[in-house]
Amino acid sequence: MNQDAEVTFEAIDNSESGDGGVEHGALLSRLCEAIYNEDQGQLASIKDQVIEAAGADVLVDAVAVSAHFYMMTRIADATGTPLDAGSVEPSIQIRELVGVNAFTSRREAQK
Amino acid sequence: MPAYSTELPIRPDLNDAHEELAKRWASTGLWWSGAERLAIVEQVRAARDAEPLAPWESPSEFEGLVSGENILPTAAVDAIWRITNHPGTLTAEWHASIVGRGLNPEAYAELVGVVAQANAVDRFADALDLERVSLPEPSGIEPARSPDPSVQVTSHWVPTAQIKGPNVVKALSAVPFENESMQLLSSVQYVGLGDLLSDLVSDQNSLSRMQVEVIAARTSKLNECFY
Repeated sequence: MNQDAEVTFEAIDNSESGDGGVEHGALLSRLCEAIYNEDQGQLASIKDQVIEAAGADVLVDAVAVSAHFYMMTRIADATGTPLDAGSVEPSIQIRELVGVNAFTSRREAQK
Repeated sequence: MPAYSTELPIRPDLNDAHEELAKRWASTGLWWSGAERLAIVEQVRAARDAEPLAPWESPSEFEGLVSGENILPTAAVDAIWRITNHPGTLTAEWHASIVGRGLNPEAYAELVGVVAQANAVDRFADALDLERVSLPEPSGIEPARSPDPSVQVTSHWVPTAQIKGPNVVKALSAVPFENESMQLLSSVQYVGLGDLLSDLVSDQNSLSRMQVEVIAARTSKLNECFY
């Protein structure tokens, strides 16, 4: 799949603002939300949309990536993993754009 | 036997990895026996399937939430449920309270690894309406439960080894078997850790790298993970 536009952080912040320059970005963002919410009706509908728009391979691979971050987030948050040296300053603007500064885990990751 | 039976096009490497994870859960760990590690997975499933508790509520406070056949310490069960259902609320004080109830810090690190893996593998199955991976018979070998003097609390809440790499990879370095499992899942569900920063453009199976990163970041935000 090719990128055909400038990439922004819209699809990460929420699924309502557009694709963020990533093919099917908003749809994949909605898939993540449905997986998180575990609303079976919402999830079934979004999965059908992903298959129709991008194919079953994309659905399976996208679910796999999302599921993977149920592991990574738990490892980071349950071990008190601090932000990596050198990433704190460069990521200030990104963290503001994607709206993560209010999280409890911010306090722990920046200790 | 494949991990999943479905008409969906699940890649063989992904199927094999989940089957392998189930075997690894049933293996003897450094601190937990195979039976205890499978009990950890069962508690993840119980936590996910139960009516949600508030973050400040522990399953051990409620009669009937934890099976009478449970073989894990209550501190472990409470930690499993909290990590599974409310990871974004975890604090250093909470961690101190768990290990303060008698859970060895290195055993806690191993528990985190198994809990995190089970959350990933089961979330995949649940989202695709698949039967969760079946659990094999546990190893009968007892764990050594020997503290490793080379691991120390330095940068994380948990003891870690002196290794190089991103802090999230260092997080489980006191329990290398769990780090290997994490890397196995990363290679089939995300990006091989060796390519994490060295190759930012190659497609990952049917997804572009940018699509992968959108999904990763959106999911991390939904889970309220700042890291």
